[in-house]
Amino acid sequence: MRKSAVLLAILTLVFSVLAACGKSNNNSSVSSPTASSPAATQSASPAASSPAATQSASPAASANTNFQVGMVTDSGTIDDKSFNQGTWEGLQKATQDLGLKDKYLKPAGTTEADYLQEMGNLYDAGYKFIVTPGFKFETAIYAAQDKYTDAKFVLIDGSPHKANDTTAVVKPNTVSIFFAEHESGFVAGLATALQLKEGEVGFIGGMEIPPVQKYNWGFQQGLKYANDNLGTKVTIKKENVIYQGTFSDVAAGQQIAAQMYDRGVKVIFAAAGGVGVGAIKEAKTRGESGKDVWIVGVDVDQYADGMKKDGKSIILTSAMKKIDQAAYDMVKLETEGKFPGGQTLMFDSKNDGVGLPKDNPNLSPETISKVDEVFKKLQSGEIKVAAEQGNLIK
Amino acid sequence: MEYVVEMLNIRKEFTGIVANDDITLRLKRGEIHALLGENGAGKSTLMSILFGMYQADRGTIKVGGKEVRISNPNVANQLGIGMVHQHFKLVENFTVTENIVLGSEPRKWGIVLDVKQAGKKIEELSKRYGLNVDPYAKIEEISVGMQQRVEILKMLYRKAEVLILDEPTGVLTPQEIQELGKIMKNLIAEGKSIILITHKLKEIKEFADRCTVIRRGKTIGTVDVAPTSETAMAEMMVGRQVSFKVQKTESDPGKVVLKVDSLTVRSGRKSLALSNFSLEVRAGEIVGIAGVEGNGQSDLVEAVTGLRKVESGKIYLYGEEITGIPVRDRIESGIGHIPEDRQRRGLVLDYSLGENMVLEVYHKEPFSRRGILQKQAIRKYADHIIESFDVRSGGSAASTVRSLSGGNQQKAIIGREIERNPVLLVAVQPTRGLDVGSIEYIHKRLIEHRDKGNAVLLVSLELDEIMNVSDRIAVVSNGELVGVVRAADTNANEIGLMMAGVRREAGA
Amino acid sequence: MKNSLIISLCAVVFGLLAGAVLMLATGHNAVTGYSYLFQGGLKNPERIGNTFATASPLIFSGLAVAFAFRTGLFNIGVAGQLLVGGFCASVVGLNLDLPKVVLLPIMLIAGALGGALWSVIPGLLKARFNVHEVVSSIMMNWVGFWTVYYGVQSYIKNPSSETESKQLPEAATLKAHWMTDLFHGSYINLGLLVAVVVVIVVAFIINKTTFGYELKAVGHNRDASEYAGIAVNRSIVFSMAISGAIAGLGGVALYAGNASNIQIGILPSQGFDGIAVSLLGANNPLGVLLSAIFFGLLYSGRGFMNAMTDIPPEIADSIIAIIIYFSATSIMIERLIRWLIRRRANAKLNASQDGKVKSSHVEHD
Repeated sequence: MRKSAVLLAILTLVFSVLAACGKSNNNSSVSSPTASSPAATQSASPAASSPAATQSASPAASANTNFQVGMVTDSGTIDDKSFNQGTWEGLQKATQDLGLKDKYLKPAGTTEADYLQEMGNLYDAGYKFIVTPGFKFETAIYAAQDKYTDAKFVLIDGSPHKANDTTAVVKPNTVSIFFAEHESGFVAGLATALQLKEGEVGFIGGMEIPPVQKYNWGFQQGLKYANDNLGTKVTIKKENVIYQGTFSDVAAGQQIAAQMYDRGVKVIFAAAGGVGVGAIKEAKTRGESGKDVWIVGVDVDQYADGMKKDGKSIILTSAMKKIDQAAYDMVKLETEGKFPGGQTLMFDSKNDGVGLPKDNPNLSPETISKVDEVFKKLQSGEIKVAAEQGNLIK
Repeated sequence: MEYVVEMLNIRKEFTGIVANDDITLRLKRGEIHALLGENGAGKSTLMSILFGMYQADRGTIKVGGKEVRISNPNVANQLGIGMVHQHFKLVENFTVTENIVLGSEPRKWGIVLDVKQAGKKIEELSKRYGLNVDPYAKIEEISVGMQQRVEILKMLYRKAEVLILDEPTGVLTPQEIQELGKIMKNLIAEGKSIILITHKLKEIKEFADRCTVIRRGKTIGTVDVAPTSETAMAEMMVGRQVSFKVQKTESDPGKVVLKVDSLTVRSGRKSLALSNFSLEVRAGEIVGIAGVEGNGQSDLVEAVTGLRKVESGKIYLYGEEITGIPVRDRIESGIGHIPEDRQRRGLVLDYSLGENMVLEVYHKEPFSRRGILQKQAIRKYADHIIESFDVRSGGSAASTVRSLSGGNQQKAIIGREIERNPVLLVAVQPTRGLDVGSIEYIHKRLIEHRDKGNAVLLVSLELDEIMNVSDRIAVVSNGELVGVVRAADTNANEIGLMMAGVRREAGA
Repeated sequence: MKNSLIISLCAVVFGLLAGAVLMLATGHNAVTGYSYLFQGGLKNPERIGNTFATASPLIFSGLAVAFAFRTGLFNIGVAGQLLVGGFCASVVGLNLDLPKVVLLPIMLIAGALGGALWSVIPGLLKARFNVHEVVSSIMMNWVGFWTVYYGVQSYIKNPSSETESKQLPEAATLKAHWMTDLFHGSYINLGLLVAVVVVIVVAFIINKTTFGYELKAVGHNRDASEYAGIAVNRSIVFSMAISGAIAGLGGVALYAGNASNIQIGILPSQGFDGIAVSLLGANNPLGVLLSAIFFGLLYSGRGFMNAMTDIPPEIADSIIAIIIYFSATSIMIERLIRWLIRRRANAKLNASQDGKVKSSHVEHD
């Protein structure tokens, strides 16, 4: 009895480690960030204070090339095909281009204490430019920006605030970055409708949180726009819009995707992290046997993840938000002494912060040109995409 | 004279205990050489040294006249020494052939297992030595006796010249023992040599040519079996005079202590294990249950002690019904139980001797107060049992039971049960695997317990034991009571017939 | 006891050595690596405090696993029990407006009950239907995961975050000013003290009481326990319930001590680390305490090592994993030690024998 229990314990540990390994062997690279003009970021939304006034630590407007860039990862691994990876790649590119040192740390858990501990470690080791991806860092950054006043913080996809209080408090040594996911979802929906012309589509989300919801709402608006203005007949049913509830349950993603495809869905927009990985897996399996099913990727260009044996991918296109570019820009701005401390920046269509990948092998030239056309209208403000649910599904 | 194996002046010491002290054993080619000794005398250690599982601290081993160093069992195998352990080492759901070739699989083209060829070879070997084993049967489908032959075949397949058989008859029925005797004779006729580890004098007398006796780690002597009497060998083994006849007075039965009334018990496989069984055991008498193994004895015992649910029927203790009450209540009302399998049921092997001695009474004063164990009281109680039942442990009450020899484990259990002074003592195979000295002692204690006015229900597969110790004998066959006879007016022949299910013609 | 201490220490040493080899093999300096690892956990009062704080939930989860193990049960559902215990305590903490001295004990009780509820189900299934507790307790992990997911979102959701519960008020957290100050702003909290008390209580139950005697007997030998009249099934249920209650208290320490809210969608890793802690601690309460602190040190020092050297976090994780493996395979280490002892004893004996042989020759001459 005892021996077998020990054996079981060992097996469990082995499996947990194997599982962890399994998660981290996708190594295809994300499309390189489009060369960004720092100026583009200045079109950002309401700034709390003037950038010039925020340069508390380093002398204003003077080039600062002597700092080290640190990052604390969110719950996933560094190669999560999403937030962590995007941020890290942007940072790496920036530090390479600019000759800086970089480092990422992986917290032991996901509590505020865990995050703060790693930020403390980075700070103590001289990494005083700290980038954190994900809304989970909101309260930790809120505390850190006061604790380490001579350090700079970049919070992607969130704004620092106290617990139980939504009021954002962005201190002069912090930048908070948001993305217009709804616009990204909109163009993805548009492209999907144009390519499919008619048929059923679906949406799989991770947790039901604002960034994911905005992808969903934008996607539905994109479909609607195409149906209304460009003569497509693409529909999305209520039962085909599902939030799985986690960003990690690969098996569940595969199951949900299988059910949707069985119900006749042709394209699934999966904004769901690991759950999306499951959906891609299912689509690949079906694709290998000649079925006509597609996935729309999210956050980064997931084309390579959906590659079949014949060298073609089941990723129709991806609704991107250019995290890597945002990370890159922040480092660059700091070297130029233009760190937009105290500001909340919005990356959207206007500054090319969201959109489709540069290359879309699965989209026809007509689709691409039509999408570009509409995207320009989006940039000019002629078309507006709502970031609220309104009468959309979920 | 040619010796195949010589173990000269072997000494082996474990921390604090000298297991073998200057032991010499010489095995001639073509003989059956018995190794006789009490439990814990050092037989197993000596054989483990020969088989390469232990290294001797001192002394030499010669095989075929040449000095050798046996560093592990593989070396022993290469030297032609094979061992059949008391507990077989077979894979249950493999066939005989698969088990035999395991570890030295014959291969075809380098990778494919060639079972056919091995099977043929095994069939040949089996015929040659009269083993009569089906090479393609699965282990789980054949009897224990057959499994033992598979172990022997395994040795022969590996070309063993010297076979060590460790307590081979312990698990066999009388018929199987006779057949094993024939097989051993065949083996020596073919020039093999056998070391037979045992403490059963009858078998030595029947099968062995010579016998080496060891006592407390020392060689007492080697004798030719034919001119030596069983009593003489027993004395060599124990170191004093032994009486085989149990001394006891006529029983004086009092009130009915245990009454079993038309008891029916189902076994695990849904078949009836015990049907409509009735029996009475009175104060001051020992009732023996005789029968071939698996004829309902264990089921009766488990039903009485509360470990098994009964299908129908009733059990009374001093007139009060105890049929459905839990084990602990039965213990409280005065049932003691010496279980059949001492390691599985009787002891918590990883507990200390002291902790085991209070296994049924730990929750009572003075062993615990308000739920807190009183280690001092437990220790005192254990020391008392250890002393009065002569339990020999390495240290004291603090040593784990696992480290005790089988005989001492059994003595500890018997001491524990008798010390509680139960009105009904259910003793199942109380002397199984024990040596003559211990058997004699245990029988004496059982009779003493009877003489104090208690009832004893004795279950044993050894007919001699039943005949010698019991006052009345109940014979079971196929889960039914064949009859009850007075021990004084019956004989082995009659009981044997009843065990086969033949009912007695005239009443006792 | 003494033996297992040596084995555990060996496991640690071997693990550290293997970790050093790994660092050297990947081109890093092992001495600096380890020096930063230990500095990271011990360098200043704040870091020491953080080490203890990291260890606190591990003490509970390790103890929960160890307690069940002593009864021959493998409670792999500690993660779920932590979560449910933490959730129950949070619900109480958010809804009762009481002074801290009254509220905290109620929260601890709520946490223990929640954890016990979650573990008693596998216990009952095992006792009644012989369902293996490993299977059912793993399933309970997920039932707990989703129950808390739903419960947090529906009843105690944080207005500012979709994935967290409301922040516990000051009166409902185990954080204590004097401790925070003593350790210079560390997030150490009363959870550590509760853990130490529970370690003592559990050690007492296991070693000194008839109840512990019964549980251990059932763990070692179910048949013999049945024979001795011990209510085996009752012991199984009790053992699982207590194990879960300990885990539930760990949940309070985790979610109302180290953190002050619950994040949904995350099964606490401390639950599974408990298995390793228990193995390294040889299922002994005091051993669990020490091994949990050791793990706490590794976890809290790891980040500093990463930050100060070029050793990537994955290597640090591997080092921790290696130590776990060595502790899990303590049987192997035990054999190795025995073998070494025997070899040395034999060598000594041979030497003395040679001496004797020589002297006897002299005599003969």
